[in-house]
Parts: sequence; C-alpha cells; structure tokens
Amino acid sequence: MSAHKVMLLGEIGVGKSSLVKRLVFDRFETDYKPTLGVDVYRYEVPPSKTHAAITLIIWDTDGNFGEAMFRHVYMKEASAAFIIGDVTRRPTLDTMLTLSKGFREHFPGRYEALIVNKIDLLDGEPLNLPDALSHNRKRVFHTSAMTGDNVQFAFHEAAAEILRRGL
Amino acid sequence: MTDPVNPPQTDQNDAPEPATSPLLAAGRLLAERGVYGLIWFGEDLYVTARYGRLADFIEVGDPLLHACLPLIGLESHIHGLKGQPGKVIDLPSVLIASSDNSLPRLNLTVFWYEEGNHFLMLLARSSSHSDLERELSKQMRARLIAETAVAEKSRELARANRELARANQDLEDFAAIISHDLKSPLRALRYATEDMADLLAAGDIKACLHRLEEIGQRTQRMSAMMTALLDYASVGRKAEIAEPVATRRIAEDITRSLAIPDGFTIEIAGRWPEVTTVAAALDLVLRNLVQNAIIHHDLPTGHIKLEAKDGRKSFTISVIDDGPGIDPTHHAAILLPFRTLNPRPGSTGMGLAFVSRTIATLGGRLEIFSEPTTKRGTTFRLVWPKTLDA
Repeated sequence: MSAHKVMLLGEIGVGKSSLVKRLVFDRFETDYKPTLGVDVYRYEVPPSKTHAAITLIIWDTDGNFGEAMFRHVYMKEASAAFIIGDVTRRPTLDTMLTLSKGFREHFPGRYEALIVNKIDLLDGEPLNLPDALSHNRKRVFHTSAMTGDNVQFAFHEAAAEILRRGL
Repeated sequence: MTDPVNPPQTDQNDAPEPATSPLLAAGRLLAERGVYGLIWFGEDLYVTARYGRLADFIEVGDPLLHACLPLIGLESHIHGLKGQPGKVIDLPSVLIASSDNSLPRLNLTVFWYEEGNHFLMLLARSSSHSDLERELSKQMRARLIAETAVAEKSRELARANRELARANQDLEDFAAIISHDLKSPLRALRYATEDMADLLAAGDIKACLHRLEEIGQRTQRMSAMMTALLDYASVGRKAEIAEPVATRRIAEDITRSLAIPDGFTIEIAGRWPEVTTVAAALDLVLRNLVQNAIIHHDLPTGHIKLEAKDGRKSFTISVIDDGPGIDPTHHAAILLPFRTLNPRPGSTGMGLAFVSRTIATLGGRLEIFSEPTTKRGTTFRLVWPKTLDA
C-alpha cells in the first residue's frame, strides 16, 4: 500500500489536532492542548471503486509556524496539504489565504484543499466567509471535528485525488 | 527546544566535523543531545539493532518506515546522506501519535554511519517539558481563549445588532401597517358617512341603511385587525415559559385536532428531538403551517409531510406540501401582516406573520422553498433553537 504525506496547516486553535484525532481515533477532546512541533499520524483509506487502498501519513503542525513552515524540513516530500481555519475567528480565515498562496508557490502541483472548521458553532447562522476565500478556486470543506461532519469525507477525497494525480 | 518561529532551514545543522570518525561523531551527538535511543539500519532501511528506552516503538527486523512514520517519504534523502560526511537529517520535536499518547515527543537525527554501510538514527527526548515550552504552551492557550472570547463577544454583538435591526424594522412595519392597512378602511368610513349625509338629505333611507350596514362591517373588520395587530406586537413580550417538550407529540396532537379533509394525508417523519422550549409557540407555528397547507391546496387530494431533523443546538422541521406552490416573488411578502395571496372571508392575513414573528422572537428562522414554474409544492422549513436565549 502506498503511503503519502499530508500536512495540516493553519493558525493555532483552528482545530487541526481535533480534526486528525476525529479521523484517526474517532474522538474529540474538549481540553485544548497546543501542538508543539509536529504530531504524526497514520490513517489508512480503504479501497474504493475508483482507487486502491492508500495510507496517509498526516502531519499535524504547530500553528505558530506560519509561512516559515514552507521552508522547514518537516514539509519535505509532502503530497498534499489541508489549510484550516476556524469559522468563528475571522483572522484565521484570512491566514488561510496567505498559507494557500505560500503552499502553491513552494509546492506547485500538489493537492491542496481548504477546511473551514467548527461549523457546529455557527448554530444555524449563515456562513460568512471572506470574499477572497469564497471565490478561491480551491476545494473548500466545511467541517466540525466535534460532530465529525465532513471530516472523513475530506480526507478520503484528498486520498483519491493524490492517487489520481500520482503525487 | 525547537523555535517554531525560526525553525531549522535545512537538514544540515549541527553537523559533526567531517574529520571525526562516525562513531566518535555519534558519541559526541549522544552527549550533546541527551540521546536515549539509537537505531541502526542498513542500506535497505531495515532495523538491524536498537538501543534505549526511546526506541521501544520499533523492533529489530522492522522496516524502518513501518513504525517511524516521520521518515516516510524521506528514503531518497536518507540514501543521499551516504558519502556526505557530516550531513544529517534533523526532525525536531516530533510525536508519533498513538491512541493512548504513550510515546514521547522526540528529536530525530539520521546520519550515515560510514563503517559497515549503515545508517544511524539518534533519538532524543524532545525538551517539550522545559519551562520555556510550558510557558509558550500556556501563552498559546491563553491567546486562543482570548481570541475565542472575542469571537463570541463579536457574535453576541452581531446578534444584538440583528435584534436592534429587527426592532427598527418592526417599527417601520407598524408605521406602514397603520398608515396603509388601517388608513384605507378609515378613509372608506369617512366617504360612507359623507354619502350618508347626502342620502339623508335626499331622503333615500333604504340606501342610507345599506351604507350603515357597510360601516358596521368595516368597523368590525378594523376591530379584528386592531386585535390581531396588538397580538402580533405582543409576540415575544409575554412571559413565555420554556419546558421540556416532546416535539413529535406536538406534531401528532396537531394532526389529530385539525379538521383534515377527506383525500388529504399527513405524514410525520424524521427524528423529532425532546427539547426545552415554549410548547405553545411551537404548536402555534406548526398548526398555522399545516392549516395553510390544507386551506391553500388547489386539489381535492393532497399530502403533507412533517419532517424533523435533529441538530446539536437547533433542530429543523419542514412542512412539505404538494399544493400549487408560491411564486418566489411573494415569499417575503406573505410573512408581513395583513398579506394574503388568497383573500378569504374572516381571514385577517395574519397567520404567517404570527408564525414568522414567533420563530424570530425565539431565535429561530423560517425558510420558504417553492418554485411553481418547475415543480408543485412548497416547503416551509423552520430552524428552531434547542435552548432559548436569556
């Protein structure tokens, strides 16, 4: 089974660790513990009608890295990145755009998708994204690590796309 | 500790001096970095020997990349170390995640051990528990809590602004209602009394009596409008008591108590939660929507579906009918007081206005989906909060 490296990038507290823990261990922890450095997870995506089984090696990164992450040894040989923001904190959504641009410049051709997390906190209010994010041509997932909404779907779609592009 | 803001820029930091023998260099690194574990692996990247407590996660004979996830993808970079004395691959502050959080955070250093065609990986416990790092973690946590609090306050402010805007809109609506909907019948009354004066002067008592009857009907209508308007204005201002409510039971009670014409069926579907809310308000809203679906149906047979979906902080109920539909240009207008698309005797046109205002007052919202040019039917979807705002 092929293994591919997927980076989780985004401001601190946007839910990167919560997303990957929901995906890999199917649990949600309410106590916030910042990631220092990187945490590395293994997640196996089962085969589907369109692709073979694939292992994702998911790198959950420290939110303080910012754009410096793109020059870090951690990023070597990354096949894909999820750039994550917190729907309740506008500045984290603006940061997504900066990180998305940085990733495109440093890793052209790799799979990239945006995740707008914590949608459970919208509580019925309409989603109000920055214009530049709404009109960004990248794939955007709306997720909740707390409820699990769209989490597995996002990673499975990334896996299929990584295989399709041969990344 | 790794400085996350100024991370290592390359994989060639802290390199042992080229002139030093590899084992001595390893020894030096051991001493300098507080190494607690070592792994040797051959050119095929299989573990050939290990030492130390920190290397417990990997067994001799394992493919290195099976257990040491951070090295996956770096195979060619590892092979590239060969013949480049002093070059290392450094991966600082890495945690291989496990469900029980049993593995320590590590600093991983890989370099080529020249004698014997072997690579060597040094494992050092990351100094993640240093005072500095604990302080950083504390500050990050405090920053997030502060940002979350600001975001919550912003949402509260936005909610308050929406409420203010709604109150202002109400004022404008009431002004419009008074000036239009009540002014018109008042004007008609004035004309009727002027007519009566002329009729009396002409001695036409029969026509005069007819006018009097008209005036009686108009004043009755105005009185009903005023009562409805006062009720409308008082929605949300009465002390409403929230109580545990089995929402499905309310739907069942409504379908039992309404006069359902022969040929009509009502289906209750979906997941109906038990919530703490104002039962009378939910009853009023659902009752009006179901009644409307029946009254405004254009065929002798019809089907109405009440479908609920549960959510974390709110739930939705859709009232789906197969009637003639409502043109989208009327969706906003039908929620205003005294507006109806099909005027009927005895109707004040306040039903949907009550529904809309009641839902909005409790912090929910009403959505209308209907496109009669392409498909019959209308769906009224109400989003109902599970708890009431203080």
